[in-house]
Amino acid sequence: MIRATGKGSISSILAVGLHIVRIIAWIGFAALSAALVALPLIPPFAEWVAHLDGASIDGEIDIGADDFVEVLRHFISFGVALYVVERLLELLKTLRFGTPFVKENAIRFRKVGIALLFGEVSKIVIGILAMLTGADVNAGLDFMVFVSIAAVFVLSEVFHEGARMKAEQDLTV
Amino acid sequence: MSISVKLDRVLLDRGMSLTELSERVGVTIANLSILKTGKAKAIRFSTLEAICKELGCQPGDILFFEDDGRPARDE
Repeated sequence: MIRATGKGSISSILAVGLHIVRIIAWIGFAALSAALVALPLIPPFAEWVAHLDGASIDGEIDIGADDFVEVLRHFISFGVALYVVERLLELLKTLRFGTPFVKENAIRFRKVGIALLFGEVSKIVIGILAMLTGADVNAGLDFMVFVSIAAVFVLSEVFHEGARMKAEQDLTV
Repeated sequence: MSISVKLDRVLLDRGMSLTELSERVGVTIANLSILKTGKAKAIRFSTLEAICKELGCQPGDILFFEDDGRPARDE
């Protein structure tokens, strides 16, 4: 039988996986932050480099609304992923210490739910933005994601009650 | 909490220390301390029975109800 905590347990495997995801999310988030800043600078920079070489650029370097919205969409996704992974790692840490039923974890689950909801709502906003600017961006919504978010909020409430019960048990003589 | 614990008073009347009561009833001093200071959320019948037996008193000698108007659950 797989143990809940300790070496070889599901939580330790999850923690390793989440640490890897955190590194990937950090790299992605940093790269997308840099891309958001660099995108408007690409055309003048390319022209400046070409001017230095005494060459001319054939055609036009066009950074359109599509590119901005697409980068923004991924930036938010990676940001949300990073935030959620950090909270999940904190949750697993309390599980390792044997104190998962605390109020802080209920709050962490609520924060995860809010972050995921923010991610989905931002998709809607980006979809509207794309419609207004005529950008070709895939901001498709998934109904199951909203169900998952609801599950996280339910879990948060369960943890809230669990924390209350644990506190009561600790103070039972 | 509306329920107050007067364990210290009963202990004083019997001339017994908390450590002695702890040894007699088999409840840790830490737990008896929680009970004595009124921090306890609940008390088991078995604990109450053991305390009453050792102190030769009734549960009503230890526990008192005073309505403070606050809701009982979310304290």
